[in-house]
Amino acid sequence: MYGRKACQLVKELASGEKGQLTPYNSDLFDQVIAECSQHHLELQSLIRKMQEEGLDVQTTRNADHYGALIHHLSLVRNKRCLMAYMYNRAEIIRSLIWKVGPVLPQQIQEKLSHTEEEYFKKHSGALQSYMSRLDLDLTVDMVPPKDPYIQVRVLDDIGVVLSDDKTTNFARHSMHFLKRTDAEQFISRGLMEELTS
Amino acid sequence: MASEAGEGSTAGMDDYETLISTTDVELLKKAWRNEKAAPEILRFETSLIQRIRGQIQLMEENIEEFAGSGIDPLTVSLYQMDLDRTQYLFRSYLRIRLQKIEKYMFHISKNPEVQSRLSEQEKGFARRCADDMERHLEESVLSKLPDNYQDIVKQSIISEESDMIPEPQLDSFVVCKSRRFLGPFQLDGRQSTISCILLVCAARNVSSVC
Repeated sequence: MYGRKACQLVKELASGEKGQLTPYNSDLFDQVIAECSQHHLELQSLIRKMQEEGLDVQTTRNADHYGALIHHLSLVRNKRCLMAYMYNRAEIIRSLIWKVGPVLPQQIQEKLSHTEEEYFKKHSGALQSYMSRLDLDLTVDMVPPKDPYIQVRVLDDIGVVLSDDKTTNFARHSMHFLKRTDAEQFISRGLMEELTS
Repeated sequence: MASEAGEGSTAGMDDYETLISTTDVELLKKAWRNEKAAPEILRFETSLIQRIRGQIQLMEENIEEFAGSGIDPLTVSLYQMDLDRTQYLFRSYLRIRLQKIEKYMFHISKNPEVQSRLSEQEKGFARRCADDMERHLEESVLSKLPDNYQDIVKQSIISEESDMIPEPQLDSFVVCKSRRFLGPFQLDGRQSTISCILLVCAARNVSSVC
């Protein structure tokens, strides 16, 4: 049935958790592209047939016209599904830049296609350039501040970090009392957790 | 910021309210609230943002001075909290606008009226966004499709208009509150009188009244 594979692609996209990427399905993608070429060939041959019979392609309404119409509509539907697939994945990638930062962890990078990785780098660059023109870091302060200082526990070994005028050793399981903006970059990467009690 | 609020409290409640509502922080809060609620991007508050930046810088310098000069640490942390909250509002305002630009990049690039609402840096960002996305979609999808179907905004070469651009939903409902008595006026084809109540209506109608 025409359009079934494209529908599968879109369903795959919808079945992933909100905000999470599924691995890029290049097989299914290529199959849909092949289907599109096939539709186009059929479409052209039907139009050619009508032209050979001396009929006006714009106004004649015979079986060939409707056949060509079906191929055209299936092609447009496939194009729409493919664009939706890429566009929505790109949307998720952009949201990852806000959540995770300019460097993606390995398990997410595996799920991207080559073009998507390029897009990620370019968009990251665009964002960085905007922020540097304003001289402002917009990736901190993502939640409204309740306290200026928060209690954090270190989850992963970060080692010695230079902050303001002192160096602190963020060893695993150690607890610290930090400024919110300093701790945020570690919390968003899952290296620290906030102690809310 | 905190000092301006202090001046108002000696002049009686009404005056305090008026004074509070005109401080830059209140204006920023209002702009931030509007931006958050509206589905489309609103006009960039250039002068307000410039003033706020200056004030934030001044406040940071003051706090450093206070921290060094032995003023009660509770007072310093109160000033610090006030500063944090203002900085959050400031960053969040810019962030919300960026995220709207990312969402509707093609709509913005094809629509000069919407483009005029952006700041200079935002315009540059929007242009780069649209270019990157166009290149990405062309490489991954469009170049592999048959000839008449390779356009990014039209479904195919026979489409009469650009039918593939996502646009902000101006028919989504927003809750708005009037700041003063407005009397009867036309909203959605019905006469309404608005005093100080909360009203739910389509976003499209709000922009014409504001």
